[in-house]
Amino acid sequence: MRDIAVVAFAQSPGTSADRRDDMAEILLPVMREALGSAGIDRTEVDFWASGSHDFHEGRTFAYIESLDAVGAWPPISESHVEMDAAWAAYEAWSWLQLGEGEIAVVYGVGRGSLATDLDQVTTTQLDPYFLAPLRPHQDALAALQAQALVAAGMLDEKQMAEVVVRARAAGMGEPGAQVSGEVTVDELLAAPYLASPLREHDRGPIGDAAAVLVLAAGDTARRLAGRPAWVRGADHRMDTHYPGTRDLTRVDTVTLAAAKAADQAGFAAREVQIAELHTEYSYQEPLLTNALELSGATVNPGGGPLVARPTTATGLIRIGAAAQHILSGRADRTLAHATSGPALQQNMICLLEGDR
Amino acid sequence: MSTPPTPSTPPTPSTPPTPSALPSPVESFTSPHKVDYTFVAGTGRSAFLRGLQERRLLARRCPTCERVYLPAPEFCSRCLAELSEPFELAGTGVVKTFCVVNFPFPGQMIDPPYLVAYIQVDGADTTLMHLVRDVEPADVHIGLRVEPVWCAEEDLDTSMNSIRYYRPVAGGSDA
Repeated sequence: MRDIAVVAFAQSPGTSADRRDDMAEILLPVMREALGSAGIDRTEVDFWASGSHDFHEGRTFAYIESLDAVGAWPPISESHVEMDAAWAAYEAWSWLQLGEGEIAVVYGVGRGSLATDLDQVTTTQLDPYFLAPLRPHQDALAALQAQALVAAGMLDEKQMAEVVVRARAAGMGEPGAQVSGEVTVDELLAAPYLASPLREHDRGPIGDAAAVLVLAAGDTARRLAGRPAWVRGADHRMDTHYPGTRDLTRVDTVTLAAAKAADQAGFAAREVQIAELHTEYSYQEPLLTNALELSGATVNPGGGPLVARPTTATGLIRIGAAAQHILSGRADRTLAHATSGPALQQNMICLLEGDR
Repeated sequence: MSTPPTPSTPPTPSTPPTPSALPSPVESFTSPHKVDYTFVAGTGRSAFLRGLQERRLLARRCPTCERVYLPAPEFCSRCLAELSEPFELAGTGVVKTFCVVNFPFPGQMIDPPYLVAYIQVDGADTTLMHLVRDVEPADVHIGLRVEPVWCAEEDLDTSMNSIRYYRPVAGGSDA
């Protein structure tokens, strides 16, 4: 294994709907900030990888617009994943592991607000025979999982409200947050159901934002950052396409990905100080913390996706935030989790560590 | 073409299933998807589109490489520098390449045959795609000087449709 680290991270302010900027305009200031903090210009970048989704933009090959913020003409080594940019980060990490270059830039552009109703989009990713014709909205699929956990005695609505109270308080003063503030459990439990047992506040607010991550190998990373955030282990696993064949009270793909990442890293998820979890719904936090055995770790200290969910950039922001804790010296070991698909179908775990 | 059996071929089952024993598979069903979107043009493209509503072709220059974009994004895609303030071009230009569309297809707005061209507007380093009309296709060639034909006042919009088409410059010579 090659030593690969996050050396810089930047993200745009969280907005519920950016009606001023196109993809390149959202991205370019963030790109400048990330490259600037790494102290490099784009001619030094060996590989570019990005994540976004045409179905969120409503146009074919929409991501090529964002390349205007990269300067894409030959010779450029560039790739794109049609999903959360966390998976682009995994691709870039693998590319660097292969020894193809020294510096890779990963970016995610999330435009969750362009589809008038994102539920029209998300049903298109469901299996075409049994689920897509029923048009279940995202919240209904999430609520099935939450209800299964409640019925199994693994979760209650008060616990979910407590997660939201903590997330909204943590989001205060965070530029990336779309919602924040002091709320009480009683206030939240008085709100009407969206899809029982979920209420409006139980889901992260969808919005628009961009994020940029700079990865570098070995001595290059040491040159570009005072304290590189070494990605010691990374793995991702996916569950079956049809949620009806799963036991929704379990997230075995999280457990498995975490075990594989721990094998590479030499330390386990439970040994991290801070965990950045891709919790699109409040019920997912206790489910994930149990699966990862995170008894002592601080979870989503900036509020996480429950205060801002810029669709395909959300997972990448988790990796960036987990790295930022190490780059800034706040923590020595952190974890990032990213998810995709209904009810935590696909999961990625990254374990990061700083030099001591 | 069937392959003759070889000595290593395992024996066939004594009661092979006959095709009639299998139910016929479901071969198709309808599951239409409809998705509604907001399109955000961005600040750069918006300047160009707003110009079209006023019969103006607004270009922008890169302060670093001097390249003139029409239409212009917000940033130079080579230098990544913010482009200059929009300025107006006269609108006349040159056919850089063209083709005649002869076939019909679903959703087609214009009856074939018709001619589409890349037009380099005088003063711009990029090309616009548009129709070339008021001319026999056989008389169109690369280098033909053309001018825009704008739509009626009441039809002006923040859209390329504000220019109905391009036509050869009256009495003009080739570039």
